[in-house]
Amino acid sequence: MQPLAPRNRIALLGLSVGLVLADSSVVTLALPRILVQFDVEVSTLAWALVSFNLALALAAVPAAMLARRRPVGVFGVSTVVFALASFSCAFSPTFGVLVALRAVQGVAGAAVVVAALDLLSEVTEGDASAARIWALAGVVGASLGPAIGGILTQLFGWESIFLLQAPLALLGLLVLSGLRVQPVPAPAERPEIAANVALLLVSGALVAALFLLVILLINGWRLEPLAAGLVVTIMPLAAIAATRVAGGIRPPWTRAASGAILISGGLAALGWLPHAGVVWTILPQIAIGTGLGLALSALTQRALAGRSGQAVHGGWTIAARHAGIVLGLLLLTPIFTSGLDRNEHRALAAGTAAVLDSRISPLDKIGVARDVLVAVDKAQADAKIPDVRAVVGHRDDSAYADLGDALQDQLDRAVTNAFSNSFLVSALLGLLALIPIVLGRKEVGV
Amino acid sequence: MRAIAFSIAAVLVLVGLYLGLGGASYAPAKVADPCVTRSWRSPHGFEAVAEQIVLSSVDGAACHLHVSREDMVLALANADTRQQFVREHHITNAELESLVRNGLKRSIADAQNAGALNSTVAGILRGVVGNIPIDELLNLLQRLRGF
Repeated sequence: MQPLAPRNRIALLGLSVGLVLADSSVVTLALPRILVQFDVEVSTLAWALVSFNLALALAAVPAAMLARRRPVGVFGVSTVVFALASFSCAFSPTFGVLVALRAVQGVAGAAVVVAALDLLSEVTEGDASAARIWALAGVVGASLGPAIGGILTQLFGWESIFLLQAPLALLGLLVLSGLRVQPVPAPAERPEIAANVALLLVSGALVAALFLLVILLINGWRLEPLAAGLVVTIMPLAAIAATRVAGGIRPPWTRAASGAILISGGLAALGWLPHAGVVWTILPQIAIGTGLGLALSALTQRALAGRSGQAVHGGWTIAARHAGIVLGLLLLTPIFTSGLDRNEHRALAAGTAAVLDSRISPLDKIGVARDVLVAVDKAQADAKIPDVRAVVGHRDDSAYADLGDALQDQLDRAVTNAFSNSFLVSALLGLLALIPIVLGRKEVGV
Repeated sequence: MRAIAFSIAAVLVLVGLYLGLGGASYAPAKVADPCVTRSWRSPHGFEAVAEQIVLSSVDGAACHLHVSREDMVLALANADTRQQFVREHHITNAELESLVRNGLKRSIADAQNAGALNSTVAGILRGVVGNIPIDELLNLLQRLRGF
């Protein structure tokens, strides 16, 4: 078999890295369908994401130690295991099996990503360019994940995400044809702590943008996964655009700091949305996507810069990023669910007031209230907010239409406000990342 | 450093814009205090008068129990919600019924004083409210919707 040209090898290695790192967020838009299919609690559902990210975080450094000695072998074996685990996820008979297979994906994915860094160094014949490509692939993969997952879920079902992953992952094996890589010596330096801590905090903050925002779009504002997927492509587009200009921002710590500020600002804006509606998410998404492109690439390159044994240091960055995602999921999920519980009562009270104060016939109010409560109960079973306009506003009477609008407004306010604290806490996490970024600015000159 | 200054400026504009448009107060509407007397409207028709009487009585009971009028209405929706409400507020079913019944009698008197009910209708209503069980009263209201 003819060995691949270096450019094709780079593209395939980038695809492998992006594919694995997209997997941390790719099932987000499929979660409502998975919840219904396996009939699990919302708090349990988060383990479909946590298991993958936790396994990836824990396995990244050990996998990198192994990949340092046998990068080709580790990349080949882990790619096959990742593909098999992905394929099996599509046929999970129970939620427990899905969670276990996601953990296998995480371990194998960690090995794919860190081994790919060593292979990139070999193919590009330079550690700096390898680190740049590797970081870019990670940024694009992580930010594209929700959008791709949403589109696939809507068009072909959530299982298609995993069925498509398997052959795409196996494509990466073509890289190995005719490739010889020398074992990499053990790294002499300790991990770059400041950059990795900053990566952890920024990744924790991004959980709100990559996970909670899509839940708000689908479950809160009733968008279909395809539409939600298209809406959140704003972030990866902004991230890709930002990485194109990122190199011109020097010194690199200012690039990371600018990114963290933009991420925090975008998240704070999502926490203070003035109205429900996709249009209000556009500017915050542009800020977050731009910040993501600047911060993740700058911090990853900083963690790898001037260090021998890049795979091991790459492993530390992967561990930090995915530990941050786990931290974000575990920190934000209870805040978000308590916000939903609190606002469920507030929305019921406000909705009741809207019915009582409406201009519809007094005796009809009892029936309308009952119809709305039935719709709310039914929608809760599907983990969605009901379309109360359809329940109330079908009559040919402006009083009913006004009541439908008033009830929908209260529901939109309640669900949007329920996410507010989670977005604001994640904005705070993003701001906290400024501390290690500023403290570590003199550690490495990139 | 210019990048940091630009990022801070962009974020301040974005967050300032969203806060200026009411982002900090975009939440479900607060419900009215049931202890604040609502002005007696001049409703037309028996349905509207009856509604005002019922709501006024619910206000009174809600004020007594330090809950909102809306919480009281939701509590009275069916037997299950009523049981949950009495458990949460450490009262008995009889106490809840008594509160609603007394509130209704007081509201009928208010309606009569405001000229919304004549003395004959007010008397009949007082008799109904004083004797009919609360479950029957609520069922009656729901059945009336069919007419």
